[in-house]
Amino acid sequence: MKKGLRWKVILTAAVIVLAVFISLPLGEKIHLGLDLKGGIHLVMQVVTDDAVNIETSQEILRLQELMKKKDLASTSIINPKIDQILIQGINPDQEGKVKDLLDESFKNWDYITGSDRVTLTLKADVARYLRDQAVNQAKETINNRVDQFGVAEPMIQRQGNGERIFVELPGVDDPDRVKNLIKTTALLEWSMVIAGPAVDEATLLQASGGQVPEDARVLKGDPKRRAEGFYLVKKVSTVTGKDLRVVRRSVDEWNNPAVAFSLNPDGADRFEKATGENVGKMMAIILDNKVQSHPVINQRIQGDGIIQGQFTLEEAEDLVVVLKSGALPASIKYLEERSIGPSLGADSIRAGLLASMVALSLVVIFMIFFYRLAGLNAIAALILNTVLIIACLAYFKANLTLPGIAGIILTIGMAVDANVLIFERIKEELAVGKSIPSAITNGFKRAFSAIFDSNLTTIISAVFLFQFGTGPIKGYAVTLTVGLVANMFTAVFVSHLIFDLTVSSRARKLSI
Amino acid sequence: MRFFKTPHLDFMKYKFVALAFSGVVILAGILNMTFGRGLKLGVDFQGGTLLRVKFAQTTSIGDIRQALKGFGLGASSIQAIKDFANPNVKNEFQIRTQLPAAEGTADTELEAHEVMATRVIAGLHSEENKLDAQRGLKDLNAIDQKTLAFLLEPAAPEDAPALAARIVEFRKDNGLIENFGQVEALGVKAEAVAKLKEKTYVGSLAVLSRETVGPQVGADLRRKATLATIWALIGMLVYIALRFKIAYGVSAILTLTHDVLFTLAIFSFTSREMNLTVVAAILTIVGFSINDTIVIFDRVRDNLKIMRRSPFEEILNASINQTLSRSIITSGTVLLTVLALFLFGGEVINDFAFVMLIGVIEGSYSTIYLSCPVVLFWQKIFKTQKTPGKK
Repeated sequence: MKKGLRWKVILTAAVIVLAVFISLPLGEKIHLGLDLKGGIHLVMQVVTDDAVNIETSQEILRLQELMKKKDLASTSIINPKIDQILIQGINPDQEGKVKDLLDESFKNWDYITGSDRVTLTLKADVARYLRDQAVNQAKETINNRVDQFGVAEPMIQRQGNGERIFVELPGVDDPDRVKNLIKTTALLEWSMVIAGPAVDEATLLQASGGQVPEDARVLKGDPKRRAEGFYLVKKVSTVTGKDLRVVRRSVDEWNNPAVAFSLNPDGADRFEKATGENVGKMMAIILDNKVQSHPVINQRIQGDGIIQGQFTLEEAEDLVVVLKSGALPASIKYLEERSIGPSLGADSIRAGLLASMVALSLVVIFMIFFYRLAGLNAIAALILNTVLIIACLAYFKANLTLPGIAGIILTIGMAVDANVLIFERIKEELAVGKSIPSAITNGFKRAFSAIFDSNLTTIISAVFLFQFGTGPIKGYAVTLTVGLVANMFTAVFVSHLIFDLTVSSRARKLSI
Repeated sequence: MRFFKTPHLDFMKYKFVALAFSGVVILAGILNMTFGRGLKLGVDFQGGTLLRVKFAQTTSIGDIRQALKGFGLGASSIQAIKDFANPNVKNEFQIRTQLPAAEGTADTELEAHEVMATRVIAGLHSEENKLDAQRGLKDLNAIDQKTLAFLLEPAAPEDAPALAARIVEFRKDNGLIENFGQVEALGVKAEAVAKLKEKTYVGSLAVLSRETVGPQVGADLRRKATLATIWALIGMLVYIALRFKIAYGVSAILTLTHDVLFTLAIFSFTSREMNLTVVAAILTIVGFSINDTIVIFDRVRDNLKIMRRSPFEEILNASINQTLSRSIITSGTVLLTVLALFLFGGEVINDFAFVMLIGVIEGSYSTIYLSCPVVLFWQKIFKTQKTPGKK
């Protein structure tokens, strides 16, 4: 064996061994995309306006407090836009003091003064930061929830610096439940009930003279929990989800699913005090501004309790998950949802395999029919090509999708093109009377530019597909690109090597 | 041995016939797309909900439409899914629901589609199912494995998780569970089945997949797909212009634009919908068709040196003839693989395979009958090139 040839054989053998080593065992190494495995793909948008809104309302409260402290008067403080605060009716004498206060304590705000008013606008970079943080926190919270829900290999990604979050949950087949779980803001509060439940707002407010008292708010009951009607509850809640130490699924005294909780020491103190002072009254348990239940306080309660509310098993479990993972900083809007059941995925795998096998067999028959032994050479290159695609998928942990399988099948068809180009050139060389070895060498040499150009142009379109495509399409672009790159190695290098090894330099006839 | 002796066919003779043929097809396509029924956009690009359901009983499109009428959705597109290669695929339908005009404004939120889809799924279930659901029973065809195990636990404390896994596995293989008999046949004890019957019912259909795309994402994907196509074409133009002379680049890009328009034209006459995989197929065709073109141009480049005395048209003809056997064999193998995909690849990938099928045939045709004539015309019009024959 010639020296150069020996190196080529070693290199090829090494590549094959490495490829096989990387991709075995197939079941573990090849990650199936959602369309084959089944699962849920969600695209959602974080409504970051909420985060700005919350900031503005909190700042208004702070402003009111500070102005009160400094004896600064105003008729009203409102937020005309989500990132604006308008102070009206300022005493002209105190304008300077108000400005001082704003300069000192409201550095995140730009303000302009009018006759008796000041308009504050949240600085653009602060707003941007708030929005950015809201998306990050939302992603973190969703991550926690999905984790607690128990999904293997979830994918949760933020789209660049945008407001969108992508979630992929393989193997989950109950889209509604998961969507609710993710979407719940999960703001849990315990608050004293002042009045209610009542059938409508007017009845509710009769006792307080038709007005909502300053320190109270009106909430609706959650119809799912059979806590219907309207409630008047204290504005400031006794404890909130932030005070929880432990939550777990439990059962109530009738063995219905419920959620048990323990409060942290600080929360427990407040809870104990509030319950002690209000024995005989009702306390509302509020989730996302909906009253879940309103148990009557029978005695002073220390830091433990349970939440009841006609939960189903799943609902109780999901409530535990969302409470453990904390509240979302902003609400979430779904933009896209795709859920593929496992049986459709299994069907797709079967169909993909069948189509691949049929395609491969047809190409094998076709090539052997046209090129005899040289056809076998092309097929060896083709099979190696497929092995390399699979190894690349395994190595880069890329997902194999149904379009990805289509990409492999297409590669089977397109990869032999390189061999066809070479073989046709060799035939031409033979036809003009060249010796077999030089016909082979020239054939490979002269076909190369066409092979290179044509593979590269297909790769160009695949690259743009990858750039703009979504999940499954990306999988297609990947297999197609990898297939064509591998093709340069298998059809040109390995195929040539096979000729070198099998055709002696004195051969009279070439089976092609 | 050679199967194709280098032929001497005069391809260039048919250039005007070919131009007329392509012109007619593309014009018809454009007319159809703008004034006719137009290119049907799938949920990917238009937004909406696409449901794929499997019924336990033989069901007709008419039955489904009747059920949908109740929601004012009688106009939804409903397709029966057939797959001769997979006997498991039966009683399967694809339903594309469109929100009724009143509710379906351009910026309808995804939730509206979602609510509608949920209502549709509930509405397609049998009357008994609806009653069972109202009583709070769970659908055995929609229940998750964990809950199933929980329900089985009282009757089969030891092997509840294993049984649940087995039932879910069966549901996955079969598509859906048709009756409790099938559950019993899986080795679930009679008392456990009895327990299941108390808490669950067998839904008359299973939802195999459910895709909802909001209008925002739809517009986004539409923009991305257009951009991808345009950029891919520009990429090709630049590459060809660099590798070959400008005349070839222009010709290649005209051919590719033709490929895209021709495929879209044919597509617009089918009942198929444009979605992401169709765009992927079109881009692949662009790549594939350019392969052919490059191989011929590559040969023209060679022949320009060899056949110095021949007129340009003859060189083009000779180049096409010399590469003909390669073109036929390559197109042949690709056609075979695409055919395999079309026939056996399943319904999900069928639109993709269909477009590829048109494209492979059309791509080979356009290379021979269009890209070469365009180069010829260019040479004739600009005469800048020293065509070797005229010296």
